[in-house]
Amino acid sequence: MLKVVSLVVAVIVWGLLSLTLPPEIFPGPLETAKVLWGEIAGGRVETDVAMTMLRVVGGLVLALLLGVPIGVLMGLNRRAEAVLDVWVMIGLTVPSLCYAIMAFMWFGLNEGAAIIAIAVTAAPSITINIWEGVKNVDTKLVAMARIFEASRPVIVRRVLLPQIYPYVMASARFGLGIIWKITVLVELIGRPNGVGFKLFYWYQLADMRQVLAWTLLFTIIMLLIELVILKPIERRIFAWRPEVAV
Amino acid sequence: MKPAIHVASLRKTFKGRDGATHTVLKNLDLEVGVGEFLCILGPSGCGKSTLLNVLAGLDKVYEGRASVSSGRIGYLFQEPRLLPWLTAEGNLDFALASCRVPTERWDQLKSRYLAMTGLSDYRTYYPHQISGGMAQRLALVRALCVEPGILLMDEPFSGLDEITARRIRTDLLTIWEETRKTIVFVTHNAYEACFLADRILVMSGGAFQQEMPVPIARPRSYDDSAVFELSRDVIKAFGDGMGREPAPVAVPKPHSNLVDDLDRHTAARMNL
Ligand SMILES: Nc1ncnc2c1ncn2[C@@H]1O[C@H](COP(=O)(O)OP(=O)(O)OP(=O)(O)O)[C@@H](O)[C@H]1O
Ligand SMILES: [Mg+2]
Repeated sequence: MLKVVSLVVAVIVWGLLSLTLPPEIFPGPLETAKVLWGEIAGGRVETDVAMTMLRVVGGLVLALLLGVPIGVLMGLNRRAEAVLDVWVMIGLTVPSLCYAIMAFMWFGLNEGAAIIAIAVTAAPSITINIWEGVKNVDTKLVAMARIFEASRPVIVRRVLLPQIYPYVMASARFGLGIIWKITVLVELIGRPNGVGFKLFYWYQLADMRQVLAWTLLFTIIMLLIELVILKPIERRIFAWRPEVAV
Repeated sequence: MKPAIHVASLRKTFKGRDGATHTVLKNLDLEVGVGEFLCILGPSGCGKSTLLNVLAGLDKVYEGRASVSSGRIGYLFQEPRLLPWLTAEGNLDFALASCRVPTERWDQLKSRYLAMTGLSDYRTYYPHQISGGMAQRLALVRALCVEPGILLMDEPFSGLDEITARRIRTDLLTIWEETRKTIVFVTHNAYEACFLADRILVMSGGAFQQEMPVPIARPRSYDDSAVFELSRDVIKAFGDGMGREPAPVAVPKPHSNLVDDLDRHTAARMNL
């Protein structure tokens, strides 16, 4: 409920602010929605949205495939931790634009390079999160399981993984947040389609109506993914958790 | 007959933060017979949990010998150690499944021990929804469910109110008399030790200071005056054991009061 109110307030504030500038430079919500609807009705969004989604999902999957094992390794093995933590920091520091340029220069202007650039940018944050999670695993519960003669696979599946799920979930969540942003950037510099490409295209034509319409579209899609996919999954997996009231 | 637990010259050291080594267990010798109920009584920090961890096979870094006869070991930890993402029943099922107890026996085992601990109505509750004492009782149910031959118990009733603790102690004795498990029971509570045990070992500073048989006939009743008398002697012995550490400044007193003061002093230390 509060969420809806805050959204309504935000739209109103947007409307009021847009009155201070001419509509070609800062269109209001109604104007923007109209332009967006025109684009959707004209069938001019599907390809770009689909391509962007493909890169986002591909990037996220690859980032998790890279970040989770490295994080687990660092959490379990002191030597790996000592060697890798510097590299994780370096990986985190290098700007995503550098990764994008390197990927396109080395692997060519193709989908694979785009996804690699996206994944490599997001992987270090995911690694850090998982690393922290594995270090926080309660070894007393593992000892308990060993007393009950649990086999190694059972301990991993029923005692360790459930403790790491919250961290994987959180990683996927904010990994997605990072990835949306990089994808747009990557599309801008090296792809002939996608939401980022469209944004840059309209920017070059100085059409703020279109720029805001595409930004709005992007935001709506992101919210839908959060509300329709991530939240329900989280609620299902973590049904056992106490409600935290602060 | 071969003892259920055999420990010889067991030494265990921990490295402190400063690099110095602390000897937590100092040349312990221990034999526990099959079906015996042994209580280990000692103050906080004397190495009781450390000893149980070695016996349970969780801690494999030690000097000396520690062998436990084959068969299932149950270990009731000092904390409940329940899996927070499983319900009470889920936690029991986890233990039963891990120990490969045949599924057709699960219901009977769970019902019996849940009823004994008064938890029958809480099967669907998650650990965060039950109280600390209930969690401790649930952990007891979990340990009993898998029917271990040797049961190690680390201060299992210290978090319970006296009435509940009494009832469960009595139930524990009933189960023990039926099944004749070997039980090693760690506690700070001398009265509890005298009520439960065949034999009490008083431990302090990582060594056994004294061994006391408990010559009270079974079945025992909790309010038996013999239990009370013996617990006084045990506390006294416990005080003697503590005497090896720097003794509190002795104030000269008439002889008749000395014992009482000692009792009070050790009782305070022993968290009675
Ligand atoms: N992992 C560890 N590393 C270093 N020292 C430890 C470790 N575990 C226990 N100790 C030390 O060993 C000593 C005995 O600990 P232990 O847990 O066995 O005591 P306890 O007799 O069970 O006490 P309590 O009645 O309070 O549970 C303590 O001084 C403690 O500091
Ligand atoms: Mg202890």
